[in-house]
Amino acid sequence: MTDPIKKVIIVPCSGIGKPYGTVSREAAYAVTEDLRPGQTQLVPLALLVLGDEQSRASVSACPAVTIDGCKLACAAKMVQQSGGTIAKEFAVLDVYRRYKDLKPQGIAELNEGGQKLARVLAEEVTAVVDGLLTGRQGGENA
Amino acid sequence: MSEFLETTIDKFTFKVATDRFYTLEGVWAKEENGRVRIGLSDFVQQRSGDVAFAEIKPAGTVLATGEELAVIETIKVNITYTSPVNGKISEINPAMADAPEAINQDPYGKGWLAVMEVVDWEAQRAKLLDPPAYFKIMKGQAEEEAKNL
Repeated sequence: MTDPIKKVIIVPCSGIGKPYGTVSREAAYAVTEDLRPGQTQLVPLALLVLGDEQSRASVSACPAVTIDGCKLACAAKMVQQSGGTIAKEFAVLDVYRRYKDLKPQGIAELNEGGQKLARVLAEEVTAVVDGLLTGRQGGENA
Repeated sequence: MSEFLETTIDKFTFKVATDRFYTLEGVWAKEENGRVRIGLSDFVQQRSGDVAFAEIKPAGTVLATGEELAVIETIKVNITYTSPVNGKISEINPAMADAPEAINQDPYGKGWLAVMEVVDWEAQRAKLLDPPAYFKIMKGQAEEEAKNL
């Protein structure tokens, strides 16, 4: 019998200055601040890279959902290197391929398509979070 | 199995397959039993970034050298690539519809774009770059871009 999952860690891409990285962060903000604020926690990738103890402890204690902006998959790699368990890996490009009309553009400020894509992505992440919290889903990588 | 010319610039390694011919823009053409398979070089796919969509002219389209063959949308740019030969498209890669990332993963293999029926391949090949010539040009382009990193 395992303890129920009480919180899910969200780790987005840190690609500053790139639209796909910005989409990943906007989606993470939407999940952690608007959609599931009590059940999720955003851990900045930069803190994991720096070896921040509190951030490493967070990803070690709870399942993580990573959102990467490109195939380098820095978020997923850093969670693994930090001793965390990835419940689900998302890639912005995979979502965009399913929503071709939502082309993300802009960097500091996403265009409308990018904002909508971030919302779609956030809803997909939220579905995974809900599945983990209710025990319906262990995540494809768990 | 292809063999490659290879160079590493900064942290990037670029390969040029030695069993095919190239345009200046990095489109390759490989003769196979009277038809020519076409794709993008490793340097082109790395420089362009992750491919989101690949729109290729449909089978049956007749193209002259230099006419639009495909538009590739990546996370960085939209690029139009032109045909390296005169001919008719007889087949396009079905993987491009659902998995265009094959261009990034295997540019000289599963990431091919189209197959064309051509007339007088030998004459058309003479207008393309052989692997050492393209390798030299590609290396220069890569070194130039590395200065801007």
